[in-house]
Amino acid sequence: MNTEIETPAGEPVIRVRRFFKAPPELVYKACTEADYIRRWMGPRHLEVSECDVDVRVGGAWRLVHRAPDGAEFVFYGELLELDPPRRRVGTFIWEGAPEDKAVETMELEAVEGGTLLTTTMVHSSVAARDMHVANGMEGGVVESYERLDELVAEEQAPA
Amino acid sequence: MSSADVLSERQLDRAFGALADPTRRAILARLAQGDAGVLEVASPFPMSQPAVTKHLRVLEDAGLISRRRVARQRMCHLEPGRLAQLSDWVGSYREYWEESFERLDAVLEQMRAPTASPTEPVPKKTVKKRGEGT
Repeated sequence: MNTEIETPAGEPVIRVRRFFKAPPELVYKACTEADYIRRWMGPRHLEVSECDVDVRVGGAWRLVHRAPDGAEFVFYGELLELDPPRRRVGTFIWEGAPEDKAVETMELEAVEGGTLLTTTMVHSSVAARDMHVANGMEGGVVESYERLDELVAEEQAPA
Repeated sequence: MSSADVLSERQLDRAFGALADPTRRAILARLAQGDAGVLEVASPFPMSQPAVTKHLRVLEDAGLISRRRVARQRMCHLEPGRLAQLSDWVGSYREYWEESFERLDAVLEQMRAPTASPTEPVPKKTVKKRGEGT
């Protein structure tokens, strides 16, 4: 399934869009309730070590990713709007740059055979947006090195 | 090119701005097939040569192409390194979401199944950890 990611030039916006083969009710639940989020959020090199969502308007959420080297990435925010199974709005803050309070809107549209999910993240500035995208890069580099380690280990393993 | 070679915000704005124009993307596609002179680059477009030259300058400022004088011609050359940097820039952000969504697919699948157990974790792809098997 194709994930579309848009980072429009000059706008502090990241838009992610993806189709899921499930009705909006399930996608909404899986993307909103902590017990489900902790099972899927993040790439393979980052564990979800903590996840709490107080699912109500004004409720707080918090998610912690832990990298293999023990480094932790803490994200938190507040839910501003809940309109299941169509729309959810909340703030999104990375502990590493708390001055950038982003607003994330998740929209679900029922389409043939499933649901189209669109999340739109509006940062406080283009620079903050770029930072968010570029920080993902660090993770990617870490992962690339791990893959390299695996490859080297395989090459060295006795047949 | 090293992945750690992060572009500045200004460089990113320039590069993405340069790519936001269909004529400039067409010029890059032409140069991907090989170096070309300004006249050759300009020939498919219904616009004046100065207008094409202006587009080439934008591409050059963005680091996407370089130009050099060969005899009496200014030859244009694609700089693939900058494009690679751009794709790398969004690459691991993409990886974050693509890998997350693949696991979300599996979670949704389990939620739809009548025997779904809400606490059963979705297995991550098996990864050989550093030091294993040595």
